[in-house]
Amino acid sequence: MNLRLIISISILSFIFSLFLFSKSNGAIVSDECEVCHGLYPGMMEEAPLGEPQKFKLQNALCIDCHSNSNRDAIKILGGVRVPVVNNTVKPDKSLAGGNFYYVAKDFGDRKGHNVDGIASLDAKFKGVPPGYDKDFDPSVSGYNVEKPLTCAGSNGCHGNRNIENPFDAIRGSHHADDSPIDGSTTAKSYRYLKNTNKVKGVLGLEDADWGQNSSSKKHNEYSLSIDQYCASCHSNFYNKEKIGKMGPWFRHPTGIVLPKTGEYMNYNPAVSPPADKKEVRIYNPDAPVARPIIPESASETVKLGTDIVTCLSCHVAHGSPNESMLRWDYDAIFSGEAGGGCLICHTGKSE
Amino acid sequence: MPHREKRMTNSKELRAESNPTHPPLSKGRSKEGSKSNEFYVICVFLFVLCSLFIASDVDAKMKGRCKDCHSMHADTPYPVLTKGGCVGCHGQFPDGTQNIITIGKTRIPQVLHHMQNGDLAGGNFYYVADGYNPDYSKGHNVLGISQPESIPTMTSPPGFIGNVVIPGGTGPVDWPEQQQLTCSGTWGCHGDRTIEDPYKSLYNAHHANNLVIDGSTVGRSYRFLYGIKGKEHQDWEYQATIDNHNGYKGDITHSTMDTISYLCGECHARFHPHPNLGGAGGARFGLWVGHPADISFSSVHGGFAGSEYQEYAIYSLESPVAYSNPTGGERVVDVDSIVMCLSCHRPHATLYRDSLRWDYSQISTDDITRTGCLICHTRKGGH
Repeated sequence: MNLRLIISISILSFIFSLFLFSKSNGAIVSDECEVCHGLYPGMMEEAPLGEPQKFKLQNALCIDCHSNSNRDAIKILGGVRVPVVNNTVKPDKSLAGGNFYYVAKDFGDRKGHNVDGIASLDAKFKGVPPGYDKDFDPSVSGYNVEKPLTCAGSNGCHGNRNIENPFDAIRGSHHADDSPIDGSTTAKSYRYLKNTNKVKGVLGLEDADWGQNSSSKKHNEYSLSIDQYCASCHSNFYNKEKIGKMGPWFRHPTGIVLPKTGEYMNYNPAVSPPADKKEVRIYNPDAPVARPIIPESASETVKLGTDIVTCLSCHVAHGSPNESMLRWDYDAIFSGEAGGGCLICHTGKSE
Repeated sequence: MPHREKRMTNSKELRAESNPTHPPLSKGRSKEGSKSNEFYVICVFLFVLCSLFIASDVDAKMKGRCKDCHSMHADTPYPVLTKGGCVGCHGQFPDGTQNIITIGKTRIPQVLHHMQNGDLAGGNFYYVADGYNPDYSKGHNVLGISQPESIPTMTSPPGFIGNVVIPGGTGPVDWPEQQQLTCSGTWGCHGDRTIEDPYKSLYNAHHANNLVIDGSTVGRSYRFLYGIKGKEHQDWEYQATIDNHNGYKGDITHSTMDTISYLCGECHARFHPHPNLGGAGGARFGLWVGHPADISFSSVHGGFAGSEYQEYAIYSLESPVAYSNPTGGERVVDVDSIVMCLSCHRPHATLYRDSLRWDYSQISTDDITRTGCLICHTRKGGH
């Protein structure tokens, strides 16, 4: 009798834990629909029978949910932890993607993606993604330079880029099964970065805190697919025909292996690897690398000759305090001196 | 070419002056005070030593913001992510009036500019640069600055010999007719000339530690001329003086490949007596048939003593000489001073034909001013 009770309790616990696990992996399960959907006027109203729901300002829903009026970069809505990408005051600890605060304010529109509803059209590129080449954009319609950048949809990053409407492009993903991250659906793509149905979504390991307080041991894990994703709109900065083929490079290469030679042998010189791991270096979240195979958990080691330089090694996706959305202040990096930034990889250029 | 700061030096005298003798300490405190004083002196001494070492080491390298020279995703990209390649940095404003451009902490010598009296030691490509009334006879026709030389005899470097020995290997077997001169690489002067790609041949040189110019790497070679030794004037000889100038390396034994004239001879081989190059065919029966290079005044016909060369006694920036172990501070020209290619020419371009330092057509035996050729050939001028 006792044995049956124990087995029953164990089974129930297991099922319950599975439920909890899936919840923690991102699929939003909450009874409090209004905390999110009530932010958008008319969102909760039923559509007339037989007519599709028509929403206005769909992009605003993304922004409303993922913004915060205080400094916290993770907020709670209806018991759900929501990553904040746009603090209206200076964020305390930005997430891995950065924060649109820096482009929304008067810091200059070079500090982030000028997403509609947050920042106006950028003065330099006039809405044209730098390095854009339609031939390398997997979406059918391509980027419409006549329209602004959006969070999702054909002119955005998240969701299905074959769907113009930002809301429709990502619709349902927040409530869908999002595990494992295999790129099969938007929900099962890293940070909902899917591109189109015909293209495998981005793969990666999502830090439970979206990279907040990241360290060598706790961080997102990226794959080469993140570069391919950026290249959808910035292909000239990724395409080997445009950046050169192994020295001399014409543009900073991305999607290439961090060499196991020369100055790169000393990647992240500030932290030496353990004595028994001379062949690796220690991961630096200020200049992260991608992995050819996504590990089960965040790895603190960087394998030279294996791990990969990515767009995100230098840039963040949303916005940063620095020009060109860099992870560091390019103006403050000097060759011949000690420092981080570029010199985390280009160690031979420092002292 | 990088900015190389002069090494910090402090004479013992200066250090002594900065540490005046202290009066004797009072009894009872003297022992402790003496120890404390010794400790203080040792600390200061160590600090000064460390500062000297660190400052020297740091100053030896290229210092400056990455962005001043490089562009990561340029609309019009150039090799090694540079802003305009070699000329983009070293010829930023062809009609500008700066011969050295300072951006942040970086001082960049300009080899193409329009500053009056501002030509650096290497000369100025302005005189041969397309778009600026060029006269191709006045300098090297470098890709990116000038069109290829149109004179048929100039389709290859004058005096060219294929397959000569150069630092790291051998030079090109032939000089293809369509091959234009480049700043660096196999078809250029700077960098490792065994590497064809101009930028690969200079890889990392600007960021290398160049505290010692020993020719062991491109970065540690005089002006990135691989294998060549010398002393680099910190302002590329702008406002140089007769005791603070470039120090050119010469070798009258013709047994090394580290002289500035050997570098010239890598392309203009027939003009250099080194056996790797043109050999000793420049002299017949004791008479030169071509102006010699890498010879000392002691080698002249009839000997130095009593010769006209003896009257060239003080270093001339107009017609410099090389030394076996140059320091850049030589003021005296003597029997061991060495005639080199750069005694008469500048490597980039000059106001005069054949990239000469003076107008050859105006040098006359009637001249009493002793300029040009007459700086060495002192008795050929009028008296």
